[in-house]
Amino acid sequence: MGVLVELDRVSKQYGGVRALDQVSFTVEAGEWIAIMGPSGSGKTTLINILGGLDSPSSGRVLVDGRDIGPLSEKDLTRYRAEKVGFVFQQFHLIPYLTAVENVMLAQYFHSMTDEKEARESLARVGLADRAEHLPSQLSGGEQQRVTVARALINHPALILADEPTGNLDEANEELVVNLFRELHGEGHTILLVTHDSGIARLADRRIELAHGRLSQVSVLST
Amino acid sequence: MFWRVLRGSLRESRGRLAVALVAIISGAAVSSALLDLQFDAERKFTREFRTLGANVVVSPPSTGSRTDEESPVFGGEELQKIISVSNGGQSGVTTFAPFLFVVAHSAESSVILAGTWLDEAPRLAPWWKVQGQWVSNRADRQHCLVGRQVARQLKLSPGSSFEVTHAGRKINLEVSGILSTGGAEDNQVYVNLAVAQGIAGVGDGVGLVEINVGGNAERVQNFVTELAARVPELEVRPLRQIAQAEGQLLSRLRMLLLVTVALVLALTGLCVLATMATLAMERRSDIGLMKALGGAMPRLVRMFLAEVGLLGAVGGALGSLLGAVLAAWIGRRVFGTAISARLEVFPLTIALMMAVAMAGATPLRLLSRVRPAVVLRGG
Ligand SMILES: Nc1ncnc2c1ncn2[C@@H]1O[C@H](COP(=O)(O)OP(=O)(O)OP(=O)(O)O)[C@@H](O)[C@H]1O
Ligand SMILES: [Mg+2]
Repeated sequence: MGVLVELDRVSKQYGGVRALDQVSFTVEAGEWIAIMGPSGSGKTTLINILGGLDSPSSGRVLVDGRDIGPLSEKDLTRYRAEKVGFVFQQFHLIPYLTAVENVMLAQYFHSMTDEKEARESLARVGLADRAEHLPSQLSGGEQQRVTVARALINHPALILADEPTGNLDEANEELVVNLFRELHGEGHTILLVTHDSGIARLADRRIELAHGRLSQVSVLST
Repeated sequence: MFWRVLRGSLRESRGRLAVALVAIISGAAVSSALLDLQFDAERKFTREFRTLGANVVVSPPSTGSRTDEESPVFGGEELQKIISVSNGGQSGVTTFAPFLFVVAHSAESSVILAGTWLDEAPRLAPWWKVQGQWVSNRADRQHCLVGRQVARQLKLSPGSSFEVTHAGRKINLEVSGILSTGGAEDNQVYVNLAVAQGIAGVGDGVGLVEINVGGNAERVQNFVTELAARVPELEVRPLRQIAQAEGQLLSRLRMLLLVTVALVLALTGLCVLATMATLAMERRSDIGLMKALGGAMPRLVRMFLAEVGLLGAVGGALGSLLGAVLAAWIGRRVFGTAISARLEVFPLTIALMMAVAMAGATPLRLLSRVRPAVVLRGG
């Protein structure tokens, strides 16, 4: 498998705060990477830059061979729709759309809606019978599984998950973690931020950030 | 999907949108009512003004108004010409009547006997108030209308009879009604033209002709020119002040209505603006999320504009229905006439309201500045 993501001395400066400092690493297609580090170390910043939600102050971010740094707002929007699937700690679902509509929204922004496919995606995260529920009618774990279904729906090259289990109890955490294991097994490329070393152990590699710098890249033997 | 999102967000923000909708409906109601009035005003007022009486007077040269006593007279030949011009299809004449004034005597005091076509009087002088009966036939030689002052002086009331003399001729008249106008007529006795002609001994002569021409000042002037050419020996005078007052009042009214409509629209826009500013704040996180999911701004803007446009259209439609009712009510209560709703006001109001709603939705443009990364962090 080839290199999917390559970061080359990426820095991000927020006013006086250096959130990322000369970060370089590569991600192979199909790899599962766990990103760890204390609070404020730049994990979310890194995910946002990879996902085209934020631009680096310097350095290059190559995804599929294309530098996403200089992309215009419009092209970044396209990039997000086509290449990236997000899973956030706070779920972030549209409150007035049902589970299946939330999934379809990602389809809509990508190209066309396909309700059948959206329902299949929900079925695969175990929510076939919750398709018509509004987010407020779903438990936290169920909401997070809807966001996983939404992240998958457009077959993104990159799945970016920022503490996806941070707001879940153990039972739901296990459900969601198992989903990521399955996705990894199917060959998806995953970057997952977590504070849980147990979850991190499931990944192929672990990247540690401290004060915006890469402190450790460990390859886990599998 | 577009409609699902639209439906969802409409439901989600129905409280705020209801406020904006009420503003739009009220704005639409008031402005469409005013537009109805405006459209109706010209038609209405030209008609209303006709009831204010004559605006053209024909008389022998250098005589004054009809209150002139023993004024010179002109003959039936000229009167026939005036009648034929007035009855011409394009003349715009709504009503006209000849007058002849004679100073006569009754019970030792002098009275002014005014002869005209009494059946035309209600149309030419609709402000006349008659206690008793009008004289409805111009061939009626027996009945008369007695001015209020004369009636008091001679102690006359409807049904009583009295004698009038002039130059040795004597006639007996029966009072049909007591006339009060607040003007010179209160001191006069109105009889049919033939009665006055008989006692004055002028054959078919008349003192003057009063004509009402409908329409604007230009139309009146055209009629005056035409008539003056036909009867060069007579003086044809437009009573300009009436035509001008009519025009001025109309244009002032139009100004007033348009300024009011503009104000109402501005206020509606402001109200929508305030609501939309709040709404924009509330929707920041949803918009940030949609952007993060790859929603392009033009697409998101279209959704909002559709929402606001729909609001404007619905508000405009409901409001203009309400406005039609309002216009009818204003017409009845304020102007005492029926103001009918104009069909073209409906689409006009709806379009105006959509425009106002869209203008009021400018705060939604702030949403294009929403940075998804910031919103998703909870900022
Ligand atoms: N928009 C911003 N403006 C200024 N500083 C920012 C901004 N976003 C992040 N930072 C700063 O950048 C640094 C890295 O933040 P980041 O959110 O990436 O940390 P994190 O590793 O995700 O932390 P946590 O584990 O608490 O989520 C922090 O010091 C933060 O205060
Ligand atoms: Mg974070």
